[in-house]
Amino acid sequence: MMRTGSGMVLRLYMGLFFAYMFLPLMIMVLAGFNAYSPPSVTVWRGFTLNWFVELWHDDRMWSGLRNSFVIAGAVIALALPMGLAGALLLGRLGNRAGGLMYAVMVSPLLTPGIILGISTVIFWRNFEVAGGLFTAILAQTTFIASYAMLMFMARLQRQDATLEEAALDLGATPLQAFRRITLPFLRPTILTAAVIAFLQSFENYNTTMFAIGGQHTLVTEIGSRMRFGLSPVVNAIGILFILATIAFAVAWGILKERERRGAQRTE
Amino acid sequence: MTSLRRSFGAPLSAVIVLLTGIWVLGLIAAPQVIMIEQSFWRMDRPAGAAELSVRIDALYNRLDVLALDRAAAEKVKTPSSLNAELARLDAERAGIEAEIARLEAEESTPVKTWTLANYAQMGQAHLWIFAKTILASLAVTAIAFVVCYPIAYAIAKLEPPRRAALIMLALVIPYAINELLRVFAWQMILNYGGPLNAALGLVGIGPVPFLESGTGVFVAMVYAYILFMVFPLYNVLETLDTNQIEAARDLGAKTWQIHRRIVLPHARPGIAVGCIMTFMLSAGSYAVPYIMTRGTADPWFTQLVYNRFFQATNWNVGAAYAFSLLLVCTGFVFLMMKLLKVRLRDIAK
Repeated sequence: MMRTGSGMVLRLYMGLFFAYMFLPLMIMVLAGFNAYSPPSVTVWRGFTLNWFVELWHDDRMWSGLRNSFVIAGAVIALALPMGLAGALLLGRLGNRAGGLMYAVMVSPLLTPGIILGISTVIFWRNFEVAGGLFTAILAQTTFIASYAMLMFMARLQRQDATLEEAALDLGATPLQAFRRITLPFLRPTILTAAVIAFLQSFENYNTTMFAIGGQHTLVTEIGSRMRFGLSPVVNAIGILFILATIAFAVAWGILKERERRGAQRTE
Repeated sequence: MTSLRRSFGAPLSAVIVLLTGIWVLGLIAAPQVIMIEQSFWRMDRPAGAAELSVRIDALYNRLDVLALDRAAAEKVKTPSSLNAELARLDAERAGIEAEIARLEAEESTPVKTWTLANYAQMGQAHLWIFAKTILASLAVTAIAFVVCYPIAYAIAKLEPPRRAALIMLALVIPYAINELLRVFAWQMILNYGGPLNAALGLVGIGPVPFLESGTGVFVAMVYAYILFMVFPLYNVLETLDTNQIEAARDLGAKTWQIHRRIVLPHARPGIAVGCIMTFMLSAGSYAVPYIMTRGTADPWFTQLVYNRFFQATNWNVGAAYAFSLLLVCTGFVFLMMKLLKVRLRDIAK
């Protein structure tokens, strides 16, 4: 099919699309190694790693990184149990109540991030709590718990209910059945959900920006540096982000491939 | 509830209900409700504040008169009647001062007034920015769909499955890279000294102020959010049975007929998700206009919201602006669900 004329056109179009997706990122990477400041690719002053050195000595980046980790850790600790509880509850609700509950639970995913951020700050101001790490954690948890809930729901739908019933019939308490059967069944999802929650929290800009008050995370700090684009330090940290993303994507791909092969073997 | 307790037991059920309650009520519902509530009132000067201030002025005048009386009395009166007169004047002055303090407190204590004025504050200029933000976001969504549909179709239906998986994995990289970096790349490209202006300079055009005119915001927004269209489209098209397409072709259907009658109807949930995500991210984007204009071009509506809260510090107006944006985005979700006849469960996956 790809040998026809229209197939050729599609191929070309796809090539263009890939160039469109990757070229801008390459330009940014290139400027990170250029000794010229502000970041540029049109004026070339030679290869340098200086911007990485400068980044290493940047205190605000380090404190931002620390805040990002604190927030992400707290978000994982809150969003995963909440998402799991929501998924378990939905599984036992009737159609009408379940439908409404489900709509409320996924609504944060369909709400602009800035609204989640600002409404959290408005709410907590009534209790004399100003914007900061605390409100950022809560605002992020609101929608990250929705992701966790959807992932747990998908997994729970594939659970064999008879196993749990058998355990209960054999005299296990519901708590034992949950701990020995449901939780182990959910373990892979707990891990993926934690990874997704971490990435969502760490990379978040819009919600955090509106919720964090006078504090900063790594990403909000990068954002405010980018606005005026004065120093290629921003490009240097961008390169680190890109490397991390590639590593993640490759690991993800390998994991998926292994899963696929594993599934084929058991079939 | 009973089925919950039967499968998990009372203690675990209590934990489940508690956690869900905190999330749904405390994190999702309460902040939204409070924000909406706050957008409908403001702290006003009390009713009759003008009248009060007239009365306060009159009392101050009376105080001045009393002071004069007192001075006059000290000069004229005999010592015996002086003490009584002074005591009377002082008592009257104390009374007036107390009255003034009470009235001033009443005048300056703002009262909560329910009003739509926070929305009316938007005025012509802000309303225009609001409309422009929505229109631009719709345009971003439309462009993203037109560009991505052939891509998603080509990957899902024309490539062998293993190659398709590899291509999608490659696309995960720009998709997963932080939004800020994608935007910053375009700031560099469109800048005065950037590669695009350098290239235009070679053919004698420019330099073009892409960032200062607001063009940059639009260009970067398409780039930043386009992949949120590709993935949902690819995911639904992948599940389309290729036999259906071939059967239609064998029966003589033309390419555009195949797409209109088979591929597009099948892709409805993916189209809905892609459009909703792209629109919502664009209309609610703070990062893109923040980085791409440097404050030189017209602001995006999200920037107005931010400024209401953190610069003008008028939280009630800010809440009204935020709620307006939320209404538009919610309206868009319902519109897409209605137009494409999909349910919420098909969207959130």
